[in-house]
Amino acid sequence: MESTIQEPFDLIRLSLSERVFVKLRGDRELTGILHAYDGHMNLIMSDVEERIMLVEGIDVGPPGQGATVKVATRKMDMLFVRGDGVILVSPPSRT
Amino acid sequence: MDDTTPPPPPEEQAPPPPPPATHTGSPTDFLKGVVGKRVIVRLTSGVDYRGVLSCLDGYMNIALEQTEEHVNGIVTNRYGDAFIRGNNVLYISAAEVI
Amino acid sequence: MLIFSVFKTLTDQQVTVELKNDLSITGVLKSVDQFLNIRLDSIKVLDEARHPHMMAVKNCFIRGSVVRYVQLPSEHVDTQLLEDATRRESLAAVKR
Repeated sequence: MESTIQEPFDLIRLSLSERVFVKLRGDRELTGILHAYDGHMNLIMSDVEERIMLVEGIDVGPPGQGATVKVATRKMDMLFVRGDGVILVSPPSRT
Repeated sequence: MDDTTPPPPPEEQAPPPPPPATHTGSPTDFLKGVVGKRVIVRLTSGVDYRGVLSCLDGYMNIALEQTEEHVNGIVTNRYGDAFIRGNNVLYISAAEVI
Repeated sequence: MLIFSVFKTLTDQQVTVELKNDLSITGVLKSVDQFLNIRLDSIKVLDEARHPHMMAVKNCFIRGSVVRYVQLPSEHVDTQLLEDATRRESLAAVKR
């Protein structure tokens, strides 16, 4: 049943009705069930949980650990996501 | 500390382009050659994705497999598959011989 | 085109538009166009204390490009229909 992927959007098409992970601009991440998308990567998702990474303070430390991060979470029932904010979409692991 | 050869060749005048030293081929040839290979995709944000390039399209939308997300040299995420929206891509670099 | 159609089916429903500047506006969706520009009526700003200049505004036009999210009334969204329409549109795009 595993149809081969010929273009990147095939990856998204195979994720319809599945829970996906979406990384957005502005240090935001979503997980939710994907119901629709288009060529701009506009998305419609349900049962969405959003995580916003807020950088609290910039301390000195080893690279990559220089700041403490607070995470704000909220849930939304049905959400349209404008495609221009999308960085990455990852389907549920099919391993 | 001699500065006889500044790193980036300035392109003020346009002489006939010198033949590429290591590789021939257009950017398109590079992209064709790198499909199915391990690559590093750097985004304009500075985040790197290392994985196997499944495919890409004319917008540089990218599908990667076995992807690791690297931020400042630290692995911050792993994805079985990942779709990257092309507008975020700074470059694609081959991580193995092509 | 598909998403435009979805929004058209939601006219006269209440939606919440979240802008890229973090302003959230709830209102009745009066119209939408192909750029996903949105007209809202009977609007209410989520955090009025933070946006006092919006208190007197009763309706607005939102340029599509400044939208981050639109929260939709899930009872008016047929997810099965959406998925079928999305598959159809993506296959049509490949055949072209």
